[in-house]
Amino acid sequence: MRHILLYIFVTIVTLATSARTEVEFDGFLQGLFGARLDQANPVMTEFPVSESRFQLRAQHWGDRGQAFARLDFVYDGAGEVPTTEWELREGYFKFRLGNSIDVKAGRQILNWGTGDLIFINDVFSKDYKSFFLGREDQYLKAPQNAIRIGYYNPIGELTVVWTPRFTPNRLPDGTRLSFFNPMTQSIVSNSSYAEANLPDPKFENSEVATRLSRRIGNFKGSAYFYKGFYKNPIGFDQTAMLPVYPRLNVYGATLRGALLGGVLWLEGGYFDSRDDLDGNDPFMPNSSINGMIGFERQIATNLTANIQWQVDYMLDYDLYLVELSPTAYIRDEAKHLLTTRWTKLLNSELITLSFFGFYSPSDEDMYLRISGAYKYTDEIELTVGANVFDGKNQATDFGQFMLNDNIYMRLTYGF
Amino acid sequence: MQKLTSLLLTALFIVALGIPVTAQDATEIMKKSHLAYYYAGDDGLATVNMTIIDKKGRERSREFVMLRLDESDGGNQKYYTYFLKPSDVSRISFMVHKKVDGNDARWIYIPSVDLVKQISADDKNSSFVGSDFSYEDVSGRPWTEDNHTIKSESELDGKAVWVIESIPKKKDKGFARKVSYIDKETFLPLKEEYYNKKDKFIKEMRSVEIKEIEGFLTITHRTMKDIKKNRITHVRFESIDYNVGMTDELFTERYLTNPPAQYIK
Repeated sequence: MRHILLYIFVTIVTLATSARTEVEFDGFLQGLFGARLDQANPVMTEFPVSESRFQLRAQHWGDRGQAFARLDFVYDGAGEVPTTEWELREGYFKFRLGNSIDVKAGRQILNWGTGDLIFINDVFSKDYKSFFLGREDQYLKAPQNAIRIGYYNPIGELTVVWTPRFTPNRLPDGTRLSFFNPMTQSIVSNSSYAEANLPDPKFENSEVATRLSRRIGNFKGSAYFYKGFYKNPIGFDQTAMLPVYPRLNVYGATLRGALLGGVLWLEGGYFDSRDDLDGNDPFMPNSSINGMIGFERQIATNLTANIQWQVDYMLDYDLYLVELSPTAYIRDEAKHLLTTRWTKLLNSELITLSFFGFYSPSDEDMYLRISGAYKYTDEIELTVGANVFDGKNQATDFGQFMLNDNIYMRLTYGF
Repeated sequence: MQKLTSLLLTALFIVALGIPVTAQDATEIMKKSHLAYYYAGDDGLATVNMTIIDKKGRERSREFVMLRLDESDGGNQKYYTYFLKPSDVSRISFMVHKKVDGNDARWIYIPSVDLVKQISADDKNSSFVGSDFSYEDVSGRPWTEDNHTIKSESELDGKAVWVIESIPKKKDKGFARKVSYIDKETFLPLKEEYYNKKDKFIKEMRSVEIKEIEGFLTITHRTMKDIKKNRITHVRFESIDYNVGMTDELFTERYLTNPPAQYIK
């Protein structure tokens, strides 16, 4: 698979170059170093992150479309033995069919919905490992090999994304970030990490995500449908004794627009757990209803803030209570999550201070992302930041990472 | 004889009528100036080079393609900006639906995360991409928002100008008083001085180069100087093209996420 990806990159570059057409190159060179604030962490690596990254981007505009590729080379020194890794972050062709159809085919980053760092209808792959380690925000989104087709007409637009091979989220696996293992009921390292089985690579196991959008006055309204799997392995296969990705359908809607000098967004979704339709399988997640409201506005010159409130309401909660093992953490039927983001620009936008806080009053856990970035020149940027987790219980979404508090420093040279 | 007298009187009357045409009313001049400055053609396209030089002489630059479509002269406009440089913002696109009365709507598309974000935009005075130009300086402040008076008629850089003072009708965060030097021939502003509420000189706009492009007199190089910070921003317009036949469709989310190759290549 990885060879195919490199092949795609090389093909895009050679095709573009051999056609004697212009290929634009740019990218960056980046050093990232992080340190743990908790010494009791069971993980294997000495540092959560210590890496040098080289990103090369190549772009070509043709007569009929565009080719784009983004390739990352990483020298990773966090482990005992340094390794060299590479990943094709994006490699796609974009072209138009007729006047009303846009196609984007290849490896790509996908993103929709209205939430700020929280997602309901966006069932595209995320990389929480990178997110928690202090890599740039762009790394929260993991690529998928997919075909995206947009159909536009005056009434609205229809977007269909077909991902032939299911692409899961990238989650902390105990190498750099410890996590909670429900089997052992403790925070563990990679030694007790069990890789989940991916669904068989069959046509019926491919992912389909669709969106129907249109403008309604000052607002934009969208309806969504997703058919695929939960992106986290939250089910358990008793025969294989391994975590699995349960089948999932999501039906949802969003509304976003300008209001009261700011931007308001509303999002809702019904998570239909296809492997546990009645909610009586203790090894599979129950269906749930998810809702979110958010508002953002500029509070003062160069100061922007937002707040979000999300509620995840579990269906068949009484059955969930019956099924629970006696030692397990019991979540609330309605799980609330509050978030806030504050961004302050200083010194003619050369300095960016950012605070993002997640707090769940139901789970009594929280996660803070704090960072400050200084643009020394157009090319050189220095960022320092911290990721702080806390929780009353080590089994909750953020509580499980309570031993992973870290600070990091990132130096980027763009070209 | 009587015929001759009436003819003479008529001629005199016509001449008298002609006088107010030259001694124009300040608001009318500012309206004409605004239209000449910000509404040339029905649409416009340019590659913009922006250089910000701080007091220590350090330079930062941005390069972007800018598309503009007018709904009507002096009315609502749509703007599309596609960043070429520097590399940390390259390929980002930015769209503004400018409303003459009411808040603008702004969207940004960040391709590295495939994110379309609607930006809350009630502060027209905030800096445009870290430069000394505000959003309002880039897309223009409607002449109807200020009261204008002609202070004098004078000369600037060898050109006859009206010196016009503008005071915001409603209290404004950006400035309390503005003095514009409007070229009598072209109606383009050659210089603007901004003063704060303590009547302190805070910033100065200068038209450095004016060229005729496709029949439209265009300021192809202008500067904005922040007096307190001792910083200056140069803006140079290149590859300018007017009336290229843009449509409303270009200024939608479809093109925000799929930049129109014919204009930005």
